[in-house]
Amino acid sequence: MKMWKIGLVLAALAVLAGVPWYGSDVLIQFGINALLLAVLAQGWNIIGGYTGYASFGNSVFYGLGGYGVAIAMVQWQLPFAVGMGFGVVLAVVFAVLLGIPVLRLKGHYFAIATLALSQVMTAIVSNVGIAGQNIGLVLPPLNNDPLFYELSLGLLTIATLTIWGMTRSRFGFGLIAIRENEEGAAVMGVNTTLYKVMAFALSGIFSALAGGIHAYWVTFLDPASAFDISLNVKMIIMAVFGGPGTVLGPIVGALTLSTISEFLSSEVTSIAGLFFGLVIVVAVVLMPRGLADMLRRMRKMGWGYFIENIRAHRL
Amino acid sequence: MSSSHTGFLSRLFLLLITCVPVFAAAAQDVVLGASVQLIGPVANTGRYYRDSYQFAIDKINAAGGVKIAGQSHKLVLKLYDNQSDVNLSMRQYTQLVTEDKVNLLLGPFASNFALADSAISEKYKVPMVQGGGASDQIFARKFQYIFGTLAPASNYFGSTISMLKLLKPAPQSVALLYADDAFDVSVAEGTRPMLKQAGLNIVLDERYSTNATDFNSLLSQIKSRNADVVLVAGHETEILNFVRQAKSLEVAPKMYSFTVGVPSEDFRKALGKDANYAFGMTPWLPSAELKDRWFGDAEQFAKAYKAKFGYDPDYHAASGAADVETLVQAMEDAGSLDPQKVRDALARIKFESLYGPIAFNANGQIELPQMVIQVQGDNVVEIYGLKGLIKQPKYPMPAWNQR
Repeated sequence: MKMWKIGLVLAALAVLAGVPWYGSDVLIQFGINALLLAVLAQGWNIIGGYTGYASFGNSVFYGLGGYGVAIAMVQWQLPFAVGMGFGVVLAVVFAVLLGIPVLRLKGHYFAIATLALSQVMTAIVSNVGIAGQNIGLVLPPLNNDPLFYELSLGLLTIATLTIWGMTRSRFGFGLIAIRENEEGAAVMGVNTTLYKVMAFALSGIFSALAGGIHAYWVTFLDPASAFDISLNVKMIIMAVFGGPGTVLGPIVGALTLSTISEFLSSEVTSIAGLFFGLVIVVAVVLMPRGLADMLRRMRKMGWGYFIENIRAHRL
Repeated sequence: MSSSHTGFLSRLFLLLITCVPVFAAAAQDVVLGASVQLIGPVANTGRYYRDSYQFAIDKINAAGGVKIAGQSHKLVLKLYDNQSDVNLSMRQYTQLVTEDKVNLLLGPFASNFALADSAISEKYKVPMVQGGGASDQIFARKFQYIFGTLAPASNYFGSTISMLKLLKPAPQSVALLYADDAFDVSVAEGTRPMLKQAGLNIVLDERYSTNATDFNSLLSQIKSRNADVVLVAGHETEILNFVRQAKSLEVAPKMYSFTVGVPSEDFRKALGKDANYAFGMTPWLPSAELKDRWFGDAEQFAKAYKAKFGYDPDYHAASGAADVETLVQAMEDAGSLDPQKVRDALARIKFESLYGPIAFNANGQIELPQMVIQVQGDNVVEIYGLKGLIKQPKYPMPAWNQR
């Protein structure tokens, strides 16, 4: 990365980190939400963007992270940090146990297998006594939005640095190789099963941490809100809109879409409901490789970029 | 990117702030803020709150508004649509308090929203009266600024169980069935100790999955264990299936009671004659006995409401209208708009409304008993209420082939 690019990213980070000092309470709350969504999009980026396995079940990790924190804090009276750790353990165990059978499936079959995960987890957790069954758990309130904001920003930074490091490691190249040609990767000596499960687990860890922060912040968790299906769709749209398989794309996607969605929902509420649907259609037809790719190639090709995409996909 | 993103938002807020003077211009107005579900999965019921809030506010304004320390103030409603999104609703309540500077808060619909949003009212110390969340959890946190007018979930069968003691021959055994959602599980948890206290024997205690269609095995268990009373906490379609299958299996306990369905006309239409003898409950009926300062009584409220919105108000709507009245009453009692003083007035409030007597316990929850009702012929009849037996119940229920 060139020096000016690093400088730009650091400047953006400084601006974001300063929000609690100059932003309003509403902006901080919006920021927490947008940053957590960005973490989810980044988490999805690892398994969906780099490895090419479109997981529709990442909200399960988010829910497990939330339950880790809620169970530790409410049932065992442990500190928040321990709960986050517990949530991560839950997510990793789940990723490994489930990843080994499910990651053998490819393409649509993998997507379908993960699609049902959220509902299955809702049904399971509804019967677990320690998780409060259907009634859910109420966490002790902590009125410190700036803290939650900085935690979310910190988590996003760590997730992004991890992905950045990953892209220059053997592991990252292995994942890209799997995405491009799994058999080829295996022939080249990539342990595909291990790599895929690790990618799934890594994606799960970040999602779980985001879920943990969210649970403590909202102070209430029940199966329906923890394993929210719409979250799956949102994180994928954000990652794909921004640019899957790029380091900064999912963040750009998450922050832009959150902002537009927020604006629409306070100004023209009836359109807001349609918004994510429209984004999917437009993004898939005109810019299937995301904002990052569009920005890069628009400079060379101009408006021809969109026509090229439409033609390339024979729509 | 990031800086332009925050810049965009701050411009957005500037825009919103410039909207506020519309309300501030009429300096003396009292602004009540709320965020309810106008679209999304729970919007159907969410809209009742928008309608009932506005309806009550218009009525109170027509009667001169709220009188604080000898001065009349008009009420204004500042309403946001949270699109059935909990995170957005929290943000909108923060916006109402910090940017729009509303005086007091009205609640959202549904318990999970009320749980999250009550944390906002607590944080900024602005009282919220909500009529949309019945879960006992909302009030178990010892928050100081949340008050609720929906009858507590745990007490849904309370009045039914007190009525059981008056029945002859006295029922001995009870079957308790409940759906596996948060609300119905809370109902069951509250019901169990009351049944034990009443000396009734619980012969069946089963949870079934929401949207279940097959009750055959549960019904044969009810039959084989000889349950006199069957209490079902569930949803309308499940209860319709339950009654139809009870008929085809000829399972006729001495009585059965359902948490939902019985008060509604659709329920009776769907079951026809088979709806007969079913017990149910409602916290509210549009009866002329519920006197109200602004609407006269609940019957007139229901008539005016239907004329304006084209549908009959249910207890959600009545509860929402009562929330507005509760805040107005509290402001007048306190003689002030100061949130702290209004909160203290809310804690000791006591007045008659179209919804029933309003008063809160130490946790801020109303103690409103459910009225026991029964389908008798073509009518729904009030059987047992605050003052005891109102009409004779048809008990025991005759066998299916003897109707």
